[in-house]
Amino acid sequence: MKIELIVSGACPFCLEAEKVWREATSDRGFEFSVVDITQPEGAALAQRLKLQAVPALLIDGILRAVGVQSPEEALTLLQPARQEAHDRMQRMGFTFSPDNRWFILAAQVYLMLAGLGLLMNGSFLSDDAARPAFLHLFTLGFMLFMIYGLASHMLPRFTGNPIREGAWPWLQMGLAHCGVIGYAVGYLAGWHTLIVVGAVLTWLSLAIFAFRAWPVLWGKGG
Amino acid sequence: MHKRNRLFVSIALVYGLLGGLIAIVRLIDPGLIPGNVPRAHGHIMLLGFILMMIYGIALHVLPRFGGFPLYSEPMADWQLYCANAGLPLMIAGWLGWRDMLVMAGGVLTYGAIVLFGLNMILTVRAKGRGRTIPVQ
Repeated sequence: MKIELIVSGACPFCLEAEKVWREATSDRGFEFSVVDITQPEGAALAQRLKLQAVPALLIDGILRAVGVQSPEEALTLLQPARQEAHDRMQRMGFTFSPDNRWFILAAQVYLMLAGLGLLMNGSFLSDDAARPAFLHLFTLGFMLFMIYGLASHMLPRFTGNPIREGAWPWLQMGLAHCGVIGYAVGYLAGWHTLIVVGAVLTWLSLAIFAFRAWPVLWGKGG
Repeated sequence: MHKRNRLFVSIALVYGLLGGLIAIVRLIDPGLIPGNVPRAHGHIMLLGFILMMIYGIALHVLPRFGGFPLYSEPMADWQLYCANAGLPLMIAGWLGWRDMLVMAGGVLTYGAIVLFGLNMILTVRAKGRGRTIPVQ
């Protein structure tokens, strides 16, 4: 939630307003900024809003108040925004969606597969040419899948922005499975082409994850 | 979610894509990228992707799970600066065979690690009841 306070250096009340709003927006997931009306950005805002007086308060770009508010008034003004964010979180639910559930489950399978290196080589990482197979079963199979599942579940709840769903997570999962398995089998069998194909597919799954996560991080909720 | 924490997660995604890309290029043509590419790849993925993802998420959730506000916002800001100054220096050092750059980058990266560790220790305190902090 973006909170902007428009102030002027010549305004005797602006410092008090800034103090009130800094306090009101601390620890609440709000993005608070002070905009000086004498600077180009502030002047443009004032012109757009046809401002007659400062300090003026904007919530998500909309003029909500002018003058100095008491701390109680500030919290009251923020209440609808907080309620909206709270409602959005409630709608998302708290349990894993099916795609994230499968990411987490698959991560555990890859962890057990990676651990087979301990039985086969006597150590987690072998010294032979197959070393990258078990290493990447752990890093890509276990760690990356855990990140996929947990980050896709948690980030929308932290920011209040939804993550791209539909076919995207399943495409991401399919590419990641084919990629990790292809990469590991490629190393174990010594098939260079399969290694490259596996690496490319895994990279594409990460690109899809980034594509899904970006609006979650930089969308309106913030 | 604090903008700095969103930056950590976003930068982690960029490093993940970059680290994967140089590994793919190396697999296709080992001579195309000069320097110690496997080491650069490993550190981009571990320090750039995994660690920065953990930084971003942990800085958000651990204060909330611990029940106390983050001990120091400036420490976390400097952690972001150090981590993102250090890793590019390390990568440049490995790709350009410049040990001094690797060392300087390593010091900055370690600085970020210490800042994070201390900030978390002082945030997630062993004693005290804590208080509720909103999730968002």
